[in-house]
Amino acid sequence: MVPPELVFGCGHTPHDLNNHVPTSECVPRAKLCAWTATWRDMLLRGELRVDRLVVVAGGDCHNALVDGQRVAHSGIPTHYFFYPFDGNEGEMRDHLVSLEAFLGGITDQAALDGVADIKDLCIQLDMARCRRQVLGSRVFNHLIQLCDLGGDPERFGASVKRALEDRPSDVPDIRIGLVGVPPIYPDFHEVCESFGMQVVFDELPWEFARMGGRTLTTMARNYAGYTFARDLEYRFDALERELGRRRVDGIVHYTQYACHHVLEDDMLRERLDLPMLTVQGDLPRICPEQERLRLEAFAELLRGGGP
Amino acid sequence: MIGLDLGSTRAKLVRVVDGEVEFRSEVISPRWRELLDMVEAGESIATTGYFRHQVDGAEAITELTAARWGIRRLVPDAEVIVDIGGQDTKVQDLRTNRFVLNDKCSAGTGAFLEMVANYFDLGVEDLAAVASEAREPAKINSTCAVFAMSEMVSQLGGGASQADVVAGMHHSFAHRIAELVPEAERIVLVGGGARNGGLVSELSSILEVDLHVPDHPAFVNALGAMEYMTSSSPKV
Repeated sequence: MVPPELVFGCGHTPHDLNNHVPTSECVPRAKLCAWTATWRDMLLRGELRVDRLVVVAGGDCHNALVDGQRVAHSGIPTHYFFYPFDGNEGEMRDHLVSLEAFLGGITDQAALDGVADIKDLCIQLDMARCRRQVLGSRVFNHLIQLCDLGGDPERFGASVKRALEDRPSDVPDIRIGLVGVPPIYPDFHEVCESFGMQVVFDELPWEFARMGGRTLTTMARNYAGYTFARDLEYRFDALERELGRRRVDGIVHYTQYACHHVLEDDMLRERLDLPMLTVQGDLPRICPEQERLRLEAFAELLRGGGP
Repeated sequence: MIGLDLGSTRAKLVRVVDGEVEFRSEVISPRWRELLDMVEAGESIATTGYFRHQVDGAEAITELTAARWGIRRLVPDAEVIVDIGGQDTKVQDLRTNRFVLNDKCSAGTGAFLEMVANYFDLGVEDLAAVASEAREPAKINSTCAVFAMSEMVSQLGGGASQADVVAGMHHSFAHRIAELVPEAERIVLVGGGARNGGLVSELSSILEVDLHVPDHPAFVNALGAMEYMTSSSPKV
């Protein structure tokens, strides 16, 4: 995740390329993970246009480091942003300062503060789904946009407020936590809901909401705790706390083909003492029938459909 | 009461009267609606399998849940269920309530065996007998069904016998499935693939455990769907 408050604060508009992937029809060449390869090829083919590229190249997604360089070779000014593995706040601050310099320096503190305010609202929205006051799919669709706030913080903030005020007529009663990278299937949360499962926790979008700050120092403190970039014990401890707090009935571990996070599946199963379903996606498309079958069977299991 | 397993390649029906299976029937899946002609007026129907939602008024559950219920009736002390279907293989660990499916690669599914049988112009049910005559089973290393077929043809071109190649394919197929199976003492095989004695024998040898195959293994899920319907379990 590239800190969006810093991008807005430097007078630019962030545009998270990942948000274009689930609905993209681009079939990438030379791919490992379809997430990074799709935005890479969309940029190279001119289907997406950006003035500058910031790549999270360390501590998050390893494939992005190479796919980002491929884009950089095409001539787009590119900055590589790193998270420290050990959570060192000083090092984190150095990376934030370096990014600020690439973006030309903070010129709009009000914009930066505005993002922080919206993140506070999103944390409320995130918890409202645990009280069954909002559908998990609606929360996810907001939190996942916290990387760029749709390029329009005012409009995005209004949408978050509406989501907080609206009350759905029916919310599924099985509570599941979605661990791992976000699904590449755009309808994944809705499919879960169709089988009676409310996603009450989305690991990465939760990180997007809780990390932030109004100064480089507070941002450094918060972003240094980005669990996806830290050692697995640190991340698993955080997951255990959060999944317990939200009283989940089961976990769906979403993994992406050719992503190094796939290797964590066995460790997660050993560590988290909850029913767990592993789903692996590849190319962006609506949730395939095989995955629907898994989700439906998992719902039956959680509902006590086993002898 | 009727249990219907409308699978990807075969559709199966069981009728239970007074707790006992009275009748079984099976057709290829494209003709699954013919099974509905056997349903009597007012008879309750439970369905499972790919086409489970196609029957009006029936209670539909996934094959995974159906297999659990079917096995509870037939093999109450089972620890692991291996369901070898036409398009996928499903493995459930009943001790932990965890399951895995192999559906991204056809090398571990019934479709693979059909490819082999078709190549030799044999029925799938004939493969075990052919393999039993092998003297030196061919080594098939490929993990992809299509490339495994290429390897098979190469082996034949190199002089291997049909029996040796079929035995080698059984071994390769069993290995793909074995990768999904957790260590357990009581492993039960169900689904159409469990009717292939050559496969059962190979898998048993690789896993180093005696596998249990219930009578009529292809009908377990149909029976399980019906068991689930009649249970007091909370319904989805």
